[in-house]
Amino acid sequence: MKLVDINFEEFKEQKALLQKLKSMGLPTPKTEHYRYFGIKPILDKEYSLTMPKTQKPEEANHIEIEDGSVVKAPKSLYIEMQKNIKIDDSHYDQIYYLNHLLSERVIHIECEEDMDLKIVHKHTLSKALVPYRIKLTIAAGKRVNFYEEHLVLAQDALYLYGYDIDLQENASLKLVQNRISNLDEFALIAPHSVQCNKKSNFALFTFDFGSAKTLHNYHIVLQEEATTDANHVIFGSSSGRMGNTFHIENRGKESKTTQLSRNILKDKARGIFDGLLIVKNPAKYSSIYQDSKTILLNDGAFMVSKPQMEIYTEYISEATHGSTTGHIDEEALFYLRQRGIEESLAKEMMVVSFLNEIFEKLGDEEIKEEFIKLYEERQ
Amino acid sequence: MKKVMQIINLHAKIGEKEILKGIDLDMFEGKVHAIMGPNGAGKSTLSKTIVGHPDVEVTEGDIIYKGKSIIDMEPEERALEGIFMSFQHPVEIPGVNNAYFLRTALNAKRKHLGLKPLNAAEFLKLLKSKIKELGMKEEMIHRSLNEGFSGGEKKLNEILQMEILEPDFVILDEIDSGLDIDALKKVSEAINNMRDSKRTFMIITHYRKILDYIEPDFVHVLKNGKVLKTGGIEIVDALEKEGYKIFGDA
Repeated sequence: MKLVDINFEEFKEQKALLQKLKSMGLPTPKTEHYRYFGIKPILDKEYSLTMPKTQKPEEANHIEIEDGSVVKAPKSLYIEMQKNIKIDDSHYDQIYYLNHLLSERVIHIECEEDMDLKIVHKHTLSKALVPYRIKLTIAAGKRVNFYEEHLVLAQDALYLYGYDIDLQENASLKLVQNRISNLDEFALIAPHSVQCNKKSNFALFTFDFGSAKTLHNYHIVLQEEATTDANHVIFGSSSGRMGNTFHIENRGKESKTTQLSRNILKDKARGIFDGLLIVKNPAKYSSIYQDSKTILLNDGAFMVSKPQMEIYTEYISEATHGSTTGHIDEEALFYLRQRGIEESLAKEMMVVSFLNEIFEKLGDEEIKEEFIKLYEERQ
Repeated sequence: MKKVMQIINLHAKIGEKEILKGIDLDMFEGKVHAIMGPNGAGKSTLSKTIVGHPDVEVTEGDIIYKGKSIIDMEPEERALEGIFMSFQHPVEIPGVNNAYFLRTALNAKRKHLGLKPLNAAEFLKLLKSKIKELGMKEEMIHRSLNEGFSGGEKKLNEILQMEILEPDFVILDEIDSGLDIDALKKVSEAINNMRDSKRTFMIITHYRKILDYIEPDFVHVLKNGKVLKTGGIEIVDALEKEGYKIFGDA
């Protein structure tokens, strides 16, 4: 079946979702956040709709989700397959509602203690449409580091997944999304919703490496004194299309948003950074900062960078945004070569240095090494 | 005297503009060659041509270094053969750590010479001793390459690289520009300490001042892409009095 052929009447019990989806319609190539992604071939492709199974997970020290089903989980962790969860009623992405409509039960992970948690997503079903969602609740005052990896084995498949994150008062979440896929015909659309309650802190690090077609659409809402620090690295190659779109709403006073995007694109890869930062009227003395930089390693690579701001209050502490796209600085490259460093290593040094700000902020050498390995393989 | 570099009828252009119009120049082992000339004479293009800058296209002639042509060599190959250029405007490369960059460059050279690479501790020891000798701040080890350095610090960093890499042929492209008198003395002293019977220096300058500190063996005057005159320090005296017009046009 094609995505456009889904009979929504089968879901008539879920009135609110259905109504929302009907009012928005499925995305088209003209839908702003899908405009540069190439949604039409994905919508037109035949898939077999495969719903995740509910099963008792094996005990492990990490969570493993295989094709939408939790197959491994730590015993101590509260995980429940939950129906009818509270959804975000102001998400800008229609696929968010479709994803919920198709995901009858949501994987609910509740973190009531400080913890470090790893989650591995395995995508194994070729020619399949697999929908699933995860609800993540971080209890008030708790600190959680959540590290996510994707293992992609499915060809010609479309996976829809995403998080509904509820950060309760004074909670803190560091979410590291390490998304590597080298399968050209794998597509993933991931609408996420993050509610940051008073004084909570959300640090997001996303790493999209490879040649797949992936789009992550984040709706993040910040209440009073909440902060979001979002950092994104895309290293796209071949005919990969990888992107992150955002609506980040500063709704509460003294809330703070910082967003860094660093992209390296080669071959015919396309990167998308489409971020809208909104400061609502009550969000006095808030600050927003957005910076997107891209290096194109060759002429065929393409970056869509759209940093945007909408500010509805007169009292704002900081509002800065910028975007640059260019090739490797030839003078800097020559400088390194003049010191005897061969061209390929000099380029690598410059590319890694370009991303260093985010690697250093994350403080995880493993991801940096992974990037260097992938970069070297692609030369 | 042993010729270390022989520039023969060198023609070169940047874009469509021919800048070097038949340079003939011999440079000798262990000697200091000063290159002087008015703006637009081709001094910087000459240095860029020697180091293989990709903007420069050689259309005629040759550069023989240590007995072989280097015209078709990549910039890094020329560097590994011992040619070093101190840049007039050293570039800033945010994110590339100064010490990491220097160790990578030194180990590339050691590999070329068949020597084993220095590990981090061995290199740090060497670097710290050189930094101390130059009177530089130790914190610059941890900073990004040239990022946020003052004009003087950048030039000193070029000298530090020269000391670490120990090249055989050193091009100093307007090393004196943007330096105050104290910094100029410091840089000149470091260069003089590097002088020996094997190492050749090519100093490109507009001004006499640096030549008061680093005494040249030869002075060459460039104008309109050609060498008009070769001689000793007396050329500089004549230039001071009369300007470049005394040598006529190329």
